[in-house]
Amino acid sequence: MSSRRARSRQSTSSSRITDEQINDLVSKLQAVLPEARLHGCLSMQVSAAKVLQETCNYIRSLHREVDDLSERLSELLATTEASSAQAAIIRSLLK
Amino acid sequence: MQATKSFERAFLRQLLRVFRLSAVSYKSMSLQERKSAIKLSADVAMASARGSRKWTRGLIAKLSEEDEHRSFLRLILGTEYERLTKPCHGSWKIPRSKKIVRRSLRVCSRRKNNLRAPHGFKSSVLARTLVEKRTHALKRLVPGGESLDGYSLLDEALDYVISLRAQADLMQKLLTTFEASKLSALSKCTLPERKASFVGK
Repeated sequence: MSSRRARSRQSTSSSRITDEQINDLVSKLQAVLPEARLHGCLSMQVSAAKVLQETCNYIRSLHREVDDLSERLSELLATTEASSAQAAIIRSLLK
Repeated sequence: MQATKSFERAFLRQLLRVFRLSAVSYKSMSLQERKSAIKLSADVAMASARGSRKWTRGLIAKLSEEDEHRSFLRLILGTEYERLTKPCHGSWKIPRSKKIVRRSLRVCSRRKNNLRAPHGFKSSVLARTLVEKRTHALKRLVPGGESLDGYSLLDEALDYVISLRAQADLMQKLLTTFEASKLSALSKCTLPERKASFVGK
């Protein structure tokens, strides 16, 4: 802990991050988390620890989701013919 | 907050490129190999679409740890690979984590009675430990997060979460589209067979 404090004294704080900026960031983070809809505007002052925990949980669940989607996509992209057809489809999704 | 349209387009464009390049090798791969390849492609596409951020660099660095991945990354990203793996100058470590602990303490003490002495001490120790524990967990989950602190970590985590959400949504969209096209292709195949069976009767 003391080493961290020593480093902090050394570093130049030309752009000091205010508490307001941190509050803003924490609430933005809270807003993208799935439980945001449940809490609504009731909990104005959600603890940082709670937001950190929910963010960790959400990242883990998103990783699992992408893993599952990769598996399902690999089942579909089994053949070469399929792949080139899918390429045309992706192109149409871009329009 | 949501990912931008330009991110979505760039992500899909990269994924298209990868599928086109990989089509031949997908055929000879096992299901697990293909799954890993697709997951890798999706991560590369996501990082490339987002551009230069602490987490995208962290992600590319982590993916580059395996030799076989490195050549794949170079192929897909081209000159962008060099740009994203170039060491960043000066990691400004401003102790914002302390501010987050302080903010958490204020919330905790406001909730409980303002009896400073024994209560205040216990809750402050608890709050500090909790925030530290969770910050460490978040550092491990956000690519490149180990070298980040406080505000930067939160900032990168927010951006990473938004991009991950978009990645999952886009992959789901692809999956749905592919499944639909496969179904329609199958129905076209079975049509002449059905006709033949009718004629037979």
